[in-house]
Amino acid sequence: MTKANPQPEVQRVEPQGPDGGYGWVMVGAMFVSNMLVFGVIRSLGVFFVEFVEYFEESAQAISWISSIGLAAEQIFSPLGTALCNAYGARPVVMAGGCLTGLGLILASQAKCLTHLYLTMGGITGLGWALVFTPMMATVMRCFTRRRSLALSLGFTGIGISCFAFSPLFQLLVDTYSWRGSLLILGGLSLNLVACGALIRPQGGQIKVVAKEKTESRSSCSAFLWQVYSYLELSLIFQRPFVTYCVAITLFNGGYFIPYIHLVAHARQVGFSEYQAAFVISATGVTDMVGRVLSGWSADMGHIRLIHWLTLWTSLTGVFIVMLPVATLGGSYAGLMVFSLAYGFCAGALTPVIFSVVPQLVGMDRMVGALGLVMLIESIGALLGAPLSGFLKDHTGSYLASLVLAGSSLILGALVLTTLPHFFSRTDPPLKCSSDSKKEAESSESGLMDNPDPNPDKLDPLETICYSETLPSFAETVPDQNHSLCS
Amino acid sequence: MLASWTRLPFQVILLLLSSTGINTKEAPETPGSPVVPGEPVRRSVVLKGKSHVEYVEVLKPVTYELQCTWTGTESKLPNITGFWKRNEGEIENSHVAVPLENNQYNLKREFSIVGDETLGNYSCVFDGVAKIDFIFAVPQMGEVHDKPIVSYVGDSVVLACKMEDTKPTPVTWHWYKPNGTDKALINSSLEHRYKITNDQKKTKLVVLGVEQSDSGMYYCGAVYEVGTSVSHTELRVISFMEPLKPFIAIVIEVIILVVLILLYEKSSKITPGDTDDGTNTEQTNQLTQGENSETSIRQRKV
Repeated sequence: MTKANPQPEVQRVEPQGPDGGYGWVMVGAMFVSNMLVFGVIRSLGVFFVEFVEYFEESAQAISWISSIGLAAEQIFSPLGTALCNAYGARPVVMAGGCLTGLGLILASQAKCLTHLYLTMGGITGLGWALVFTPMMATVMRCFTRRRSLALSLGFTGIGISCFAFSPLFQLLVDTYSWRGSLLILGGLSLNLVACGALIRPQGGQIKVVAKEKTESRSSCSAFLWQVYSYLELSLIFQRPFVTYCVAITLFNGGYFIPYIHLVAHARQVGFSEYQAAFVISATGVTDMVGRVLSGWSADMGHIRLIHWLTLWTSLTGVFIVMLPVATLGGSYAGLMVFSLAYGFCAGALTPVIFSVVPQLVGMDRMVGALGLVMLIESIGALLGAPLSGFLKDHTGSYLASLVLAGSSLILGALVLTTLPHFFSRTDPPLKCSSDSKKEAESSESGLMDNPDPNPDKLDPLETICYSETLPSFAETVPDQNHSLCS
Repeated sequence: MLASWTRLPFQVILLLLSSTGINTKEAPETPGSPVVPGEPVRRSVVLKGKSHVEYVEVLKPVTYELQCTWTGTESKLPNITGFWKRNEGEIENSHVAVPLENNQYNLKREFSIVGDETLGNYSCVFDGVAKIDFIFAVPQMGEVHDKPIVSYVGDSVVLACKMEDTKPTPVTWHWYKPNGTDKALINSSLEHRYKITNDQKKTKLVVLGVEQSDSGMYYCGAVYEVGTSVSHTELRVISFMEPLKPFIAIVIEVIILVVLILLYEKSSKITPGDTDDGTNTEQTNQLTQGENSETSIRQRKV
């Protein structure tokens, strides 16, 4: 691998990651879509009280609605990414937008709780799955050096929605009750179709399955082979990926808990409705700040992404555990400080958690890998909220559930340290940066099990940011990124 | 000796009479109300300033003996006048002369609290300047429902009321629906549209098949022996047209956005400048594709 790059400018217009231009429009579309997806998810708490009164069901039964929605969003993610590999991101996201809107509109007519489970949980969750991961994958394909920053900017939509949507939803519920509000939310979610329309259509076949494999088999097994390749199922046999997935599952078990239970916990300790809502809003602000700062500093390249991830997740876990401890004395300042700290760290870990994936599996398998990651971490989501609800019902306070959530995050951070070459202090292995290529490659190939003995054979113009040692079942058509993001 | 014999039965009779608790003291305020048995409950307040308010929670019919003590002003007159008020109206013949005893002025009076009409504000007034208010009331519900409950025509709606855990349990609950400007008691056995569920300190009213005419103020009453405390909730019934209007506006906005984006894309493809770029990009794509396939083949061999 020659250090002197003959044409550094050519690298900029290289297909993988133009790092600019239309890519920023994609970041904007991701921002809006995240706002709509997670804004609705996070603000479901406003509907909670209405549902409990109207359907006369327990709090646990009602909290299943958001659990099912969140779990559906994660379980159907591989489906979303597989369809993305097959048909391109645009039709998938637009279809997802239609489904989300449809689910909420149908939910507004619900006559019993099961209707809500199916519509607001199932259909809307499926719609979210078809929107979130493909949108994120599209942005990640458009950026290489600024990937974390682009992701973090896209994710700030989540923080802003937390801020803006709660009072808006409260106003809607006061004026139109929950039925009318769900109807209007369904309409708002249809804007996801417009976000999808912004994605440029990809010419040609997206993911070419290696021809010699398909020709020798019958059409049925060829189809199965295609599905296998689209879903990137071969990844589940690789240890680093599996380790990462276990860690993510643990993170997911604890990450959402404070957002669901913080208001109730604050009210229980004795603070008023407005004080509790203010804490949530303030946490949303630090969440956003944390995201952007983390994305920007992660791209600087001084500390490895995986180290950033371990740092932020362990800090988040610590602060979640400190939350109930600080409020034991009824101190509002304690609640505020730790909520803000939690918000900052929770936001900081989000861009890093996804920008690490291409380093683990390579650019061409990234889309499918993201889908699988979402599916596997859904176990955490499915168990997390009801388990903490169960703990609350049995112990009477939120102390046990918040401590469990925090410990789950800290445990996940410990699991991350078992990744191969975790303790090496070399720079982040993004091979697209010209200077540290040699170092980067050795650490990058060290992440997977088979190190590349002859890195010099790589072409200097080659900027595909994947681990070249992975046996690849498919070849990516490189011009897809060019047409997507220029 | 005969005189003492006749005195004894008389005293026995008096003793018997007083032990059954027939009050020979103040007559109750409202005429015709039953006389309350039992020892009167004493409530006394010492006033240092100009006014004080005392809240008294009453559940059952009871007689209260209210004792007011005032420390007076700097100029301690040996005699001042005091009187009693009820709900801002002076009680007749309640003016008395209050002497200064132990540097204090004392007023004492008994009141029978037997029903809704007897609840209210009783005050003792010293010299026309110092006042102690005793407010007799049934336990009040703390929750205030200031936001109206919204429901749709044809839907069912649940209205709820709750008495705090710290306050005593009411005997029963009553619900009142709006009737013009007044309220009317709901009888759930007669009107099957209404279902009332009472559970100790909580009550729920379910109205099935709401109509526009059901809009208005609903009252829930916690009934105690001595009176009822009332809390209200407003019900607003709207038709499904109302949220439909903003919904349709948003859908139209989405359709316009999508059409605009697609049109912009089409027009930016049609412009002649783009065809040159198109061929250029194709060439670079082929180039890079060639290079990449080469490198990937190279890696596989490695």
